[in-house]
Amino acid sequence: MRIYTLLERNLAWYWRTNVAVLLGVATATGVLGGAALVGESVRASLRDLVIERLGNTDSIVTRAGFFREELAAAFQPAAPIIVMDGVVEHEASGMRATGVQIYGLDERFARFQGQPGDAPRGREVWLSAALARELGAKAGDEVLLRVAKPSAIPLESLHGRKDDVGRTIRLTVGQAGEPLREFSLRPQQGDVRAMYVPLERLQRDLNQAGKINTILVGRTSGEAPLEQRLKQRYTLADVGLRLRVLERPGCLSLESSSAAISDAAAAAAFSAARSLGLSTQPVLTYLANSIRVGKREIPYSVVTALDSRLAPAGEDGITLNDWAARELAAKVGDRAALEYYVWRSDARLHTETAQFRVERIVPLAGDADDPGLAPDYPGITESKSLRDWDPPFPLDMSRIRPADEQYWDRYRTAPKAFVRLARGRALWGTRFGSLTSIRIFPPSAAYDAALRAALDPAQAGLMAIPVRAQSLEAAQGATDFGEYFVYFSFFLMVSALLLTGLFFRLGIEQRTREIGVLRALGFSAVKIRSIFMLEGAVLAVAGTAMGVGAALAYGAIILLGLRSWWIGAVGTRLLSLHASIPSLAIGAAAGTITGLGSVAWTLRGLQPVTPRGLLAGERKNGRLRWRWMAGTVAAVFAAALVVAALNGRLDQAAGFFGAGALLLTAALLFQSVWLHARGLRGIVGLVTLGLRSVQYRPGRSILCIALIASATFVIASLEAFRQDGSSAGTGGFPLLANAELPLIHNPNTAAGRAALNIPPLEGVRFVPFRVRPGDDASCLNLYQPRNPRILAPPPAFLRDARFAFQGALGSATNPWLLLESKLADGAVPAIADANSLEYSLHRKLGEEFELAGVRYRMVAALQDSVFQGELIVSEQNFLRLFPDSQGYRFFLLNAPPGKVGEVARTLSAALSDYGFDVQPTAALLDSFHKVENTYLSTFRALGGLGLVLGTVGLAALLMRNVLERRRELALLRAVGYRRQHLFAIVLAENAFLLSMGLATGAVCAALAAAPAVAARGGHVPVASLGVLLALVAATGIVSSAIATAVALRSGLLGALRSE
Amino acid sequence: MLEISNVGKRYPTPRGPLTVLSDVSLSLNRGEAAAIMGPSGSGKSTLLYIAGGLEPPSSGTVTLDRVNPYEAPEKELAAFRNQSVGFVFQDHCLLPQCSVLENVLVPTLVADDRADYPARARELLRQVRLEDRLDHRPAELSGGEKQRVALARALIRQPRLLLADEPTGNLDEASAEMVASLLLELSGGQETILIVVTHNPALAARFPKRYELRHANLHPARA
Repeated sequence: MRIYTLLERNLAWYWRTNVAVLLGVATATGVLGGAALVGESVRASLRDLVIERLGNTDSIVTRAGFFREELAAAFQPAAPIIVMDGVVEHEASGMRATGVQIYGLDERFARFQGQPGDAPRGREVWLSAALARELGAKAGDEVLLRVAKPSAIPLESLHGRKDDVGRTIRLTVGQAGEPLREFSLRPQQGDVRAMYVPLERLQRDLNQAGKINTILVGRTSGEAPLEQRLKQRYTLADVGLRLRVLERPGCLSLESSSAAISDAAAAAAFSAARSLGLSTQPVLTYLANSIRVGKREIPYSVVTALDSRLAPAGEDGITLNDWAARELAAKVGDRAALEYYVWRSDARLHTETAQFRVERIVPLAGDADDPGLAPDYPGITESKSLRDWDPPFPLDMSRIRPADEQYWDRYRTAPKAFVRLARGRALWGTRFGSLTSIRIFPPSAAYDAALRAALDPAQAGLMAIPVRAQSLEAAQGATDFGEYFVYFSFFLMVSALLLTGLFFRLGIEQRTREIGVLRALGFSAVKIRSIFMLEGAVLAVAGTAMGVGAALAYGAIILLGLRSWWIGAVGTRLLSLHASIPSLAIGAAAGTITGLGSVAWTLRGLQPVTPRGLLAGERKNGRLRWRWMAGTVAAVFAAALVVAALNGRLDQAAGFFGAGALLLTAALLFQSVWLHARGLRGIVGLVTLGLRSVQYRPGRSILCIALIASATFVIASLEAFRQDGSSAGTGGFPLLANAELPLIHNPNTAAGRAALNIPPLEGVRFVPFRVRPGDDASCLNLYQPRNPRILAPPPAFLRDARFAFQGALGSATNPWLLLESKLADGAVPAIADANSLEYSLHRKLGEEFELAGVRYRMVAALQDSVFQGELIVSEQNFLRLFPDSQGYRFFLLNAPPGKVGEVARTLSAALSDYGFDVQPTAALLDSFHKVENTYLSTFRALGGLGLVLGTVGLAALLMRNVLERRRELALLRAVGYRRQHLFAIVLAENAFLLSMGLATGAVCAALAAAPAVAARGGHVPVASLGVLLALVAATGIVSSAIATAVALRSGLLGALRSE
Repeated sequence: MLEISNVGKRYPTPRGPLTVLSDVSLSLNRGEAAAIMGPSGSGKSTLLYIAGGLEPPSSGTVTLDRVNPYEAPEKELAAFRNQSVGFVFQDHCLLPQCSVLENVLVPTLVADDRADYPARARELLRQVRLEDRLDHRPAELSGGEKQRVALARALIRQPRLLLADEPTGNLDEASAEMVASLLLELSGGQETILIVVTHNPALAARFPKRYELRHANLHPARA
């Protein structure tokens, strides 16, 4: 006989209790390990998706505009491709899909991906499975692709072609839904909606022969960083710049394909010239609709702003060439008016006038006869005559005189007038740049290299992006599912541990006399505790081993749920279980430690009892004063957390869980004190007997209350978080729209509507937003938004003060106006939805989000709005930060009640060329709520599991109590009690415990959730919550009644005979 | 020698302290056996537990061979019970999960010596005539047999003091007779001090010294 033998005997003999303890530990381990596994599995699944979809792509070189495909040769392995977003229409059915990823690729892509020969050819396109499904397309079907037409000239500049922003291409489906056709550069958990088009075909249709906008770069080892290689190998043409040698006047001319040299490129050009000791002459050439002196005018004249000897001395001076002076009959000192078009940021063409004083008249010869001062304007520069001009703005051809045609024929774009550069920049400078060329004197062969060295290609929009690394980082997820499941499983785990403790306690109580015998036989208390601890350790380890299996099963079930019943929370069926050793180890360690802790906690009560007391079955209770103090401390801390969360000083989730756990602890400690102090003395009647039993074993009773309270807490608090269909987050706009192609014209003006071909719609008003495309920052995107979409509303929208705010910095009455404030440290004020801010961007008010070197400070948080996927900044800041961004791609729409559907249909049809996708704002808001509510359903299911554990605990306790009190109950039968009396007595005890658990859980949930509920407008679904709690109570009572009936079914009178 | 000197025992109750024993003294030398009788609730078992180191007295001292176990720390007190005292309870208190042999060996699990206890246990079980029931579980034994196992367990460590609390209380006459005989026989053979608490006058009559606990005091039993 050895201790080991005794241990073995104990484990086998008390197997029923031990199995219960083991199951408790297994459940706790399973729940925690499973929760951690869910988090890890979601992350790993997102990671796998990214890796699978990127294929061999490690980085990309990309630009908003197009560049030479030869640049791809600088990187190996690499593949040149075109990446765009587009609208695809199935010609036969008319089914239309917006927001489709369009990839132009060829054999080089196939080789790059390790699948030689696997690329579409000719007019054939491949569709991803999801897109084919959405369109109902199959091989051989015709589809129409609508994409933005590339334009080097900014659409929002005078020369941008605003009415011709898109291109439609007819193609034939070659393969649809093949499993390998899932290449995507965009990290997204949902299905890939992509079309793969032959590169050459796309280049031809977009008039971009030999050009691409993206290079896929594979992983290489031992090479210089990609940025460095890019800088060494790019050419000026790749960033839309060119150097022309002008024989006359003998210089280099740096020009841009966009007709305007950006400020960054200009700065680099000056710097490069300085480094070579060359001189520079910045030039800004513009088209004046007329030059008027007195009553005479000449139409459509090129005017150049520069600071050369041709320029006037004064800011308001103008130099005319002698041809112009003659035509205008102008002499030095005359007033001259220049009338010209400008395209303003209000999406309208304005005609403006500037006044000058004729300061000089120069002969049209030498430097003054220089057509090279004007950049190439498509539709103008190459025209043979003035009447052939085809500019994107209105021309009055009747104003053109024969003399003007002769001038064009003889001098082409030679300027008729010159003004000071500063004056010209003030009049015609745009966000795209305020120079049309920079002349470098004298011409130098070294200048090209010097300029490329001085210019950071990223500043010119040509960027190297480590797309794999960024995507993998994003795959860490916006939401840590593991964390949330651990949070919500925490109460389930606590329930399991309480149950473990309860069963172990019952086991110990069952063996109290045995312990007394051991003490009498000379076993010290330490020895006995160590034997029990050893038993507990064996059970904890075995339970943990079982729990690891349970964790895998639990994780698999949760993921199955996320793929099916709860798909609304994740929006993908592509999640799979990844058995992560660290996650399982965490669960196992936590299960073992908490299991042992639970055992140790139960054993702690044995020490103060004398051996004789143990032989008599006596147990001692802990000190009540300690419980009072601990309860008070917990309550105080809970209150502090609630207040901190209410004030926004603490994360709501942390406040909720922290305060909830502390409140539950405090409530249970106070109840423990109350029960130990015989707080139920005053109750009379049959029920009294039952309630006295609650006090007979106060520890057990508290454990039961804790079990029920934990589950109720989870269920009740989740109900408080549930979102209804509130329309406050729509700002009163019934519709919103996203456009695939930018709308440059203002649809609120008659001219704009005419240009856009929108039929008259009474009562319809557009609020156009500028858009910088980026990651969806809403709960619909599982990936961490590294680069969130940015919107900019017009200034008038900010003043309308629509939408409700959850919080704002300072005490602004209209937080929208904070967007226009100038922050001292240069940060850009931004607004986001409170949900996105907290759960996706993980920021608080006042905190910053850095994006491409720009700091966005969160100045206000919208309350449950349609803007959950983006950051919002002022239009002024937007244009400063993203000068290349063109037009408007997001709209809030007002429509008369009752005509909302009609307006949506009409606009979708009228603007179909723009991929204008109109949807009710309420539907978008509902889709966000659906995600949130699905999360809540998921977590409520966990609460339900906790309730099952609570009910099991309650039933076990009830059975145990009845068995222990068989003699007492038998005696009652002997003295005339009927079975229903006993039933009432036992049921009263359980109903009391159940009620206490429900009340404790519900009250603690109400207090802990108060900050979150207040932040959401203070709405509490009292009715549904009441029904839910009533259901929980009814379930508990029914299960208690069944357990009571079962327990009382055995013959009680036999218990008397053993007396 | 067991020396119980002026031992008192009081329990606190809501209505004030309840005195169970008052100024009780008793001396027994090695090999001596005594029976203590008295009505229920008179404090017999309390006295037994105090003598065996299971419950400290409120006043007075208990020494065994001049050692007061209650002056020792918990660990040594446990060792004292293990090494020097054997208990036999009315309700045998066998571990249901262990076999007969294992029950007898339970005290040796915490013994600090390495004697050949299995052999001794077998011998004791032979002496109590249970040599053919070594592997049986308590549930498979009769009341008398269980009590004989308890007796063997009490003697496994060759205690100097054997205390029996109503050892025949739950037994039929024949079994009681057998257990009583074995108690006297085995304790006498080991020169053990034996104290038996009993209601049974026939059992008490077999002891050379008899006492009666009345009004919290120990008196020589009336003939």
